[in-house]
Amino acid sequence: MALRRNYNTRPPRLTAALTAVALLAAACGSSDNTAATTENDLEGAAAEIFSGDCAAPVETELTIYSGRDEELVGPVLDAFACSSGISVVTNFGDPTDLALALVEEGDRTPADVFLSKSPGSVGFLQGEGFLQPLSNDLLGLVSADNAADNGTWVGITGRQRVLVYNSELVSEDDLPDSIFELTGEEYRGQVAIPATNGSFQDWFTVFRAQEGNDVAAQWLADMVANDAIVTESNRPTVDAVGRGEFNFGLVNHYYNFQQAEALGDNHQALNHNFAADDIGSLVIVTAAGITSTTTSPDEAQQLIEFMLSEAAQTYFTTDSLEYPLGSGVSPAEVLPALDDSGSDFDVTFDDLGNGLEETIAIIEESGIFR
Amino acid sequence: MATTSRTSGSPLALRLLAGLASLVLAGPAVYLVIRNFTADADPANLLFSERTLGPLRRTIVLATLVSVSTAALGTGLAWLTTRTDLPARRLWRVLLVLPLVYPTFLGAAALVRTLNPGGLVNDLLTNIGVDRTPALQGLWGSWLVLTLLTYPYVFLPVAARFAQLPASIEQSARLLGNSPWKVFQQIVLPQAAGSIAAGTLLVFLYTISDFGAVAILRYDTLTRAIETNQLNRPVALALSLILLLLAGGVVTAERFAQRRRVTTTNSVRGDVGGAVPLGRTRPVALVAVGVTALLGLAAPLGAIVEWSVRGLAQGRRLRVDAEDIALVTWNTLWVSTIAALATVLLVLPIAFLYGRYRSRAGAIGNAVAISTFALPGILVALAGTFFIRQTTWTFETFHNTFGILIFAYMVRFAALAMGTTLLAVRAVPDRLRDAAETLGANGVRRFTSIDVPLMMPGLLAAGGLVLLSTMKELPISLLLSPFEFETLATRIFGTFNEAFVTEAGLMALVLVTISFFATWFLVIRPSK
Repeated sequence: MALRRNYNTRPPRLTAALTAVALLAAACGSSDNTAATTENDLEGAAAEIFSGDCAAPVETELTIYSGRDEELVGPVLDAFACSSGISVVTNFGDPTDLALALVEEGDRTPADVFLSKSPGSVGFLQGEGFLQPLSNDLLGLVSADNAADNGTWVGITGRQRVLVYNSELVSEDDLPDSIFELTGEEYRGQVAIPATNGSFQDWFTVFRAQEGNDVAAQWLADMVANDAIVTESNRPTVDAVGRGEFNFGLVNHYYNFQQAEALGDNHQALNHNFAADDIGSLVIVTAAGITSTTTSPDEAQQLIEFMLSEAAQTYFTTDSLEYPLGSGVSPAEVLPALDDSGSDFDVTFDDLGNGLEETIAIIEESGIFR
Repeated sequence: MATTSRTSGSPLALRLLAGLASLVLAGPAVYLVIRNFTADADPANLLFSERTLGPLRRTIVLATLVSVSTAALGTGLAWLTTRTDLPARRLWRVLLVLPLVYPTFLGAAALVRTLNPGGLVNDLLTNIGVDRTPALQGLWGSWLVLTLLTYPYVFLPVAARFAQLPASIEQSARLLGNSPWKVFQQIVLPQAAGSIAAGTLLVFLYTISDFGAVAILRYDTLTRAIETNQLNRPVALALSLILLLLAGGVVTAERFAQRRRVTTTNSVRGDVGGAVPLGRTRPVALVAVGVTALLGLAAPLGAIVEWSVRGLAQGRRLRVDAEDIALVTWNTLWVSTIAALATVLLVLPIAFLYGRYRSRAGAIGNAVAISTFALPGILVALAGTFFIRQTTWTFETFHNTFGILIFAYMVRFAALAMGTTLLAVRAVPDRLRDAAETLGANGVRRFTSIDVPLMMPGLLAAGGLVLLSTMKELPISLLLSPFEFETLATRIFGTFNEAFVTEAGLMALVLVTISFFATWFLVIRPSK
């Protein structure tokens, strides 16, 4: 393909250059073709993740269906291509759409690795039989909570559920410790729930598993009775809270940082963490899985290992302000530390794919859409 | 293309081409039916459930309201900018098309950012004592936003139609002592009825397919139900089929209405513009045009500029650079241009068959093309994937290629080109072709020297609509583009979704700018 984004231009150019070098070396009768590394020409964040010489190219090419956006994972993928010599082709898109496309492609799909913003779409793919079990070595790179029980996917980074609030309209003293307080009168008509959004739905699935269907459904019904506002996704929720259109939103921690960074004091919102043992503080993982049709399972595993390496995890947390899950990397300083007593809840994302269907049914029956 | 033959029936080649085009266009509908069966979906049962009826009713209410308002607004603006002495008519004709170019998820978010509490307008109004602006939301918020973002579907073809009418019509009528309003109502409006109906139908279908705007404005429609159930395939597929049936019903109803409507279509381009002096109503007309441009174009632009400028001022590291933006801009331009050309070529045989030969097969092809417009783009993309994976050869030939991408754009946007192309075909007077035939011109010659020049403004308007729509198209571009081929819309979506609003804002500015020039080129130059 002729048209590539700049930091993605490296693999083919590299391949061509290296082929030329190799041919030249062969022509000159050089015996030194084992050290066919090349100079690292990564730019920006990718260069910070991997600064060594690029490895000699291997023939394998990995195709990645990435439901995570280019701005976030692009540099890591480029760094991987350089460090491993494996060229990487990426299909970026919405995780749900990509999962649906992959199922339509069936066993003809070129996808080797699937990356998702939240466990729902990997759970769906697993349910449809499109993911293969990962090796124990790979699964062992994160805590058991952050991988699928059946071993078909592993968490890469975490996004914590928080309550975003308008810092001009809400006093810090009035913030709740638990999502169950949000059903109280003082929150009437002021709390937004992105009910169509994947990460909310995944959170709700875990909520059901953790606290029981009745409790979760009752909470949602109480929120609806309390005139909760239904929004589409995290970003517009954070935007509206930042303007003071309403006071609170249940979102992932990550969006408010980006919005504040871009808009400065035109955006008056802060994240609030519920108590560590409250279900409202759940960490939703971004996930990676390997397709059952891949012809390069080893290289695919290598890629996921790289994403969990110290350098990549450090990048994810310092640059994108996500929670690192691997290699013992600590969260960026601006992020509140995750309470490690997090095993207060025995959360697993097991059966998310199947659980999703019932989650959607409960959400729709709650009457939140009106 | 051979368009006429010595016989009075339609030429075989034309029928074959039109049949092939219709088959391609029927792809998503066929896919939906097949998948409803294979996924064990139960559309009949779902239709009568509480979960469906509410959103379905709201979808119909919204689409009806938006259709009425866009028909009035689009027609009024088209008349003012083509048939009157409104100042700076030509500039308005370009500016008033541009709201079309905002992807609705972005346009709606930007309008909300500017107009809703805590936004720019609110800040300005605080100075004159208004504390809090009302929030755009729900039915009326969706109605306003979709009206502002979709009236160009009416405005563009109707303005193209008005531009073709000879000024002498109005002049004679006025000489006979009729008031300007009466002239408009009795002489001008009937001439444009076909274009108005075609444009309004597009608005209706677009509205029922839209998720971007209603999601931001928190109005619960059928597309929300589909979106929520995306991974719950049987439900999503059944709901999509219900959406398609609704669209098919509306398109059929419109055809029946059209049969009863007497439309005068024959015309020859005449001296256009400045025909009707507005006189004392000039300021009123200027206010109407100005307010529309302010709300539809400037208000979203306000938020886009805020995102860009604030972000740049914060001095943070940007995730895209000028080189990236230049590349995706170029990608957007060329792929959209090819999609526009290909789409017009695809619908042309159907338009000839239906418009000139009044063929029933042509009528069906026309209805299929138009109904498909109600389907969300994701379904068109999935249908494409579904069909090519059926054989190894088709998969290897089409998967991950520009071929399948362009095909999908054609299917998605054929409806936009269809109405206007059909009217262009019908606007060619029979007597001109007859005269040419008498003079010995063969079919090809008649097509190139009579049909094409006379149809050109209509074809350009048709292609223009497809071009502008492709430039902002999202789900198909995301799923079917060859890997790592990116457009402005896909990059805006990727960055905006992750709240990198500065990057999204900068690329949206580029999108609006290139659309301005494209519109100028397509709309203004041909009418010189």
